Amino acid sequence: MSADQAVVALPEITEPVVVRKPRSAARPVINVLMLIIGLIFLLPLLWLILASFNPHAGDSLSLPHPFSILNYHLALHAGAGAAIENSLYLAGVSTVIATAVSTMAGFMLARRRIRFKGAFLVLILFLTGIPVTLLLIPTYQIFASLSWLNSRFYTSIVLASMSVPFSIWLLKNFIGQVPREFEEAAAIEGAGEVSILFRIVIPLIIPGILVAAILTFINSWGAFLIPLVLDANPADTPGAVGIYQFMSANGQVQFGQLAAYSVLFSVPVIVLYLISSRWLSGGFSFAGGVKG
Amino acid sequence: MAKIVLRRVTKSFGSKVAVDDLDLEVEDGEFVIVVGPSGCGKTTTLRMIAGFEAPTMGTLHIGGTLMNYVPPKDRNLAMVFQNYALFPHMSVARNLSYGLRIRHTPRKEVDAQVHEIAEMLGILALLDNRPAQLSGGERQRVALGRALLRKPQAFLLDEPLSNLDAALRAQMRFELKRIHAQFPVTTVYVTHDQVEAMTMADRIVLMNHGKLQQVARPETLYAEPENVFVAGFIGSPKINLIAGQVDHPDGASALRCLATTIPVTPEIADCLRSAQGEGVTIGIRPEDILPCSPLDVSPGQPVISGRVEVIEPLGAETHVAVRVGDEIVTCRTPPRSGLEVGSTINLSFDIAQASIFDASSGLRLR
Amino acid sequence: MTALVEPPDSDDIVIAEPRLRSLIHHVVTTAWLLPSVALLIGLFLIPVGYAIYLGFTNLELLGQYAQNFSFTGLANLQRMIHDPTFWYSVKLTLVFVIGSGIIAQTVLGLGLALLAQRVSVVVHSSVGAIVILAWVLPEITVAFVWYSFSQAGGTLGHIFGTPKSDLLSTVPMLVVCMANAWRGTAFSMLLLSAGLRNVPGEVDEAAQLEGAGYWRRLFTVTLPIIRPTLMINLLLITLGTISDFTLIFAMTQGGPGNQTAILPVYMYIEAFQFNQLGYGTAIALTLVLIGAILSIAYIRQLRPELQDTTP
Repeated sequence: MSADQAVVALPEITEPVVVRKPRSAARPVINVLMLIIGLIFLLPLLWLILASFNPHAGDSLSLPHPFSILNYHLALHAGAGAAIENSLYLAGVSTVIATAVSTMAGFMLARRRIRFKGAFLVLILFLTGIPVTLLLIPTYQIFASLSWLNSRFYTSIVLASMSVPFSIWLLKNFIGQVPREFEEAAAIEGAGEVSILFRIVIPLIIPGILVAAILTFINSWGAFLIPLVLDANPADTPGAVGIYQFMSANGQVQFGQLAAYSVLFSVPVIVLYLISSRWLSGGFSFAGGVKG
Repeated sequence: MAKIVLRRVTKSFGSKVAVDDLDLEVEDGEFVIVVGPSGCGKTTTLRMIAGFEAPTMGTLHIGGTLMNYVPPKDRNLAMVFQNYALFPHMSVARNLSYGLRIRHTPRKEVDAQVHEIAEMLGILALLDNRPAQLSGGERQRVALGRALLRKPQAFLLDEPLSNLDAALRAQMRFELKRIHAQFPVTTVYVTHDQVEAMTMADRIVLMNHGKLQQVARPETLYAEPENVFVAGFIGSPKINLIAGQVDHPDGASALRCLATTIPVTPEIADCLRSAQGEGVTIGIRPEDILPCSPLDVSPGQPVISGRVEVIEPLGAETHVAVRVGDEIVTCRTPPRSGLEVGSTINLSFDIAQASIFDASSGLRLR
Repeated sequence: MTALVEPPDSDDIVIAEPRLRSLIHHVVTTAWLLPSVALLIGLFLIPVGYAIYLGFTNLELLGQYAQNFSFTGLANLQRMIHDPTFWYSVKLTLVFVIGSGIIAQTVLGLGLALLAQRVSVVVHSSVGAIVILAWVLPEITVAFVWYSFSQAGGTLGHIFGTPKSDLLSTVPMLVVCMANAWRGTAFSMLLLSAGLRNVPGEVDEAAQLEGAGYWRRLFTVTLPIIRPTLMINLLLITLGTISDFTLIFAMTQGGPGNQTAILPVYMYIEAFQFNQLGYGTAIALTLVLIGAILSIAYIRQLRPELQDTTP
């Protein structure tokens, strides 16, 4: 063998090749694009928060200088506190009524055989599509003749009824998914029906009830048109109407105070949403209790 | 049509290594089946060939071109997915012609080719139906048709038969072979079913835990498994794997197992020389170990005595599980052998037909 | 009332004396259903029915026709047909729904949903959180923020390069549409993200192998598959936007002039500022009618998909 052949004949011991990934322009560009969109969405929110802490807030985006909570004091002074208290009343009462009513109905619809149940459910679904605008004037008329206007309480009932169709639907589906095996197991163990209801069924249903309650609360909290029309009593003004009145008050718009007012008004809803979204996305599983 | 070459391909997902240092060459036109238990890396390998994953290390060449990062749409491959992946909103005809339409093939030609393929696969009557209206077998044919129509340089199939019932599966095995005979395209087929592998492959690629175990023709894999895993995976009923010891009494060599000693020929003894610690595993196929009468046995052939534990009559043959000491030995016997559970039975085998593996490494000695 | 409730079958747990149990059963079931039925009848069905009547009367908020109003047949209808403001309002409503709802929210929502599939988790969650925050804010807050945003000297003006002009006066519909789009995009984004998740990964991979690039796959495979979700999204957006009151009213009160007076706002103005309750109801009825027509149109689009599940 000549020298070259000998070299060629030697077995090659090579490391496995690592092929370089070609640089792709796409990935970073896409990320930047989404970030830009995010930034655009952020601007108004940024203004809101910054303006609320800025005693000299104008309508343009600027850093608070100095940073202070004066606006919050002023807003509360100007009636934000009372208005938010009214919102609390309206939202609270309507939530209690709507949730109680819907849970009872949802429970029966999920568990019992009822004549015309199918039609009833279709009706409820249909009702969720009826806009407030249609109900406003006739309700006003009816309330006027019953002297139910200018009352926080009756306004709450109207707000409650706006949420009832959706809540019934939500709870009926939720309760329907609670496996019957729990109740059957308890019955076999000798528990009475009432006992089963309170000690087994209700605890299992509570997450669903809470979700329905939170959704109703969030909806009623921001109510504007209904309280505007049905309750002209200034003492009953809820947050949304209050902010509007403040906005259209004569003179220079008090951007800073309004911003603070808005933030105060918005925070409860955001918190509630955060709480409920964790539950909603976590799903309602009866993990471990029933096979499958 | 193209040759597929994987050189020292490794794929890891974070710390998990799915494919470990794989070397594989699929010849042009060859029908190769990649088998192995779940998690062995076969699907990952297929997906790397298709382009949905890129090798962490190593190179992939298809038709001579380096393909590591070439996007799937540029590889001119076709794939049949386990769940067929038909476009649910398109009719069968439009599913079949999707690839052609993308290439702006003239309408007439598209129709002609679709018609031809549909006729060949027996789905002509279904051309206007939607996938939701088809049965599993019909959907599979449509998926096949879609793959065939594009005349790709290689076919990839990912467990295409696993969603079909047994009867349909047998029929489709036959059809696939027939189609491959008609269109000899390089084919890489992935399955966990060793029967499919044995019946359809030109060569079988057996993998376990991401590592290549053996690549060979089915007969070779069956008769000369490279290690204990291969021996145990291929063949049904499973091969008998018996613990044994190498002895050297009086200079000659012998194997001790199942409470008997078997003298071995010098050539066999040679192979056994490299056994470390002298422990071996002996692999005997169930059809090679048979009931016998002690008198009929040739000299040097071991006779083992055991108790019949389980009898499984299969019609054409019977599988008998016999307890010998601590071990259970399975043998295949003709149907009417008159055996009974609990009875004592004598078995014999020819050591020359057995595969012998090193007990610690699992590798084949002979 | 027992006619409403069917006797319990063996599914229900029967324990004590059958006949008494059955009676209690009926009573309890009915009692539990009653409050919601009462609410729904009293505060939904009756007002709706009453509205249908009131829309054909000359009821007014104050004055002579507040107490002694009467049925006026098609007078309101004729008035509507000849009312140029009404037709202008219809046009504005359609612009609002189509512009900010269908185009802006759906396109943005779809875009965000598609982007979310391919960006890093950090980018996806942070941008998602911001977009959703805009959605969660009470409507009045959105109205105030965008009001301020578009004033003379406001930030929006700075972005558009017209810092001195009050955009809410110069391009009111545009600003209002932008505000609504900003507020509502999250809904589309979430709904369409869920729809996209339902596209089987294998189908997309199959299309890749067939040689389809990203955009071709998007239009020939992905979007057709999520068509039902898109339709439902459009339906819900339309219904929600068409009756939206607070946002526009708080920002512009329908102005300047009538330039942003979509139907719900126009209805309010006619009813409570011009005292025309009857006429206002007629407008509201028209609104519901338009909504119903659009819903039927969307549901029709969904029908082919629903029929497809026949084996």
